[in-house]
Amino acid sequence: MSQPMDSREVFEVLAPGLLTTIQDAGRIGHRDEGVPLSGACDPVSMAVANRLAGNPPGAPVLECTLLGPEILALTDVTIALAGADLGATAQPSGRRLGPGQAHHLAAGERLSMPGSGESRGCRAYLAVAGGFAVPLVLGSRSTSLVGGFGGLDGRALRTGDRLAAGPTGPAAPGGDAPASGTRLLLPHPDAPVRVLPAPALSGVGASAAALAALCDATWGVSPVSDRRGLRLVGPPIAPAAPSDGGSNGVIPGTIQLTPDGTPLVLLADAGTTGGYPVIAVVISADLDIVGQARPGGTLRFQPIDLPSARRALAELRQTLAF
Amino acid sequence: MITLPTSRILRFGDAAIIIEVAAHAGYSATQTVNALNRELSVRLVGRAGWERPVPGATTLLIPIDPIEPGVEAAIVEVTRWLDGWTRPGEDDPVHESGPIVEIPVRYGGQEGPDLAEVARGIGLTPAEVIELHTGTIYTVAFSGFIPGFAYLGPLPPRLVLPRRDTPRPRVPAGSVAIAGPQTAVYPVDSPGGWWLIGRTHVPIWDPLRTPPAVIRAGLRVKFTSR
Repeated sequence: MSQPMDSREVFEVLAPGLLTTIQDAGRIGHRDEGVPLSGACDPVSMAVANRLAGNPPGAPVLECTLLGPEILALTDVTIALAGADLGATAQPSGRRLGPGQAHHLAAGERLSMPGSGESRGCRAYLAVAGGFAVPLVLGSRSTSLVGGFGGLDGRALRTGDRLAAGPTGPAAPGGDAPASGTRLLLPHPDAPVRVLPAPALSGVGASAAALAALCDATWGVSPVSDRRGLRLVGPPIAPAAPSDGGSNGVIPGTIQLTPDGTPLVLLADAGTTGGYPVIAVVISADLDIVGQARPGGTLRFQPIDLPSARRALAELRQTLAF
Repeated sequence: MITLPTSRILRFGDAAIIIEVAAHAGYSATQTVNALNRELSVRLVGRAGWERPVPGATTLLIPIDPIEPGVEAAIVEVTRWLDGWTRPGEDDPVHESGPIVEIPVRYGGQEGPDLAEVARGIGLTPAEVIELHTGTIYTVAFSGFIPGFAYLGPLPPRLVLPRRDTPRPRVPAGSVAIAGPQTAVYPVDSPGGWWLIGRTHVPIWDPLRTPPAVIRAGLRVKFTSR
């Protein structure tokens, strides 16, 4: 694939990791054509990594899942890490590359991210000064795994891929640290996921009893979870009366109830329409919690009112300067 | 004529609002969703914080920025726009509108491997199935499932049958399929549980093209046999 003229190759992929994709703030404005939003599952950590690297908050980053990639620096380069701690080190020195910080890699150094014993979060975000340079497709540089386009040829990284960075902006790379008090790492491990009730529409919403049941239990996160959504494990919720089969629009954060009583939490790659009854919708400020939910981990849900949801997002944006 | 009660304009979490136009899915609901989509799309062009509406079977969902405008202000705004708005009636010339896209299809054979079974299942000959499928002008109801996958309907009642018991792991791009009261063209290779009756070689989905989908909201579709 051709790369933009003002970009430079910065990394060669030596090992791709479990699922490493290029993501940005998402593919806004094509959902009516069935195009999922995509973008970082944890938009807060993406923004933090970008801020630390001197980029705009939605610049393209690497989203690394559970087991990160091994990449070779082809040139001296500034990166920043945020989100889950996947045990990143620089080789051959063995220098630790912690999350919530910017780091400089020298040409010839290797970054490896073998995963760690840390049980919190499942997605690490690696930003490079200038942002990863890939073509804009339908208004976004995010990888659409479902559609097979965007990012790097519409797929996860592979061994041998070369990654380019765009020109660095006016901010000094690594010099623009977020204000103190900003969440540099993961959400608090005990933080509940705050939800708003589903709209009370005959063909869309589940019952109030379903919402109460969702908020009463502690839910496990099934290993059968991916960028499209989380499948929750717990006491089955009594399904609502079956709808007449029509699908309607949904957004990331929508919590659906399958016919067997299992709640599904939709994430960034979810389809744009769905036919299951909706129990609740995760507030925008807490999408990072569900986006970091680790298979085998647990989640709790808590109802919240709209003014509080709005306040939570306003505070988050202020600290991140979105 | 249908006037929307304002109670049917509700928030969907803090990042979208949803407008319900009918209690049940079907052709009438689709017509109203499409008319409402046309009305609101014009109003929303270039408005910061509002995304293009997403049509569904019985609703129109509008993703919005949770802070600006925020869902409450968005509901007030849409309610004001739709005050007195009426859906075009059955005898209104707008009712059967929308440009018609013609999709040439090779029915049966290797490209429509389920045609014979579909025909047997409903007691028709394959030629009669083709005649019914090409003899109707379909309306785009909404998209979803995968990028560029548009649900078209309504199918002639004679062709309505449940999905296949076992989905195929890979349905080739361009496959023309039916299931329930709907028909569709698979935009890319994907898993699928619909009955494959033919295939088109028109590239119906290309993300590098504007617009990417040949079959999209506001259009109607006629299949022709090649």
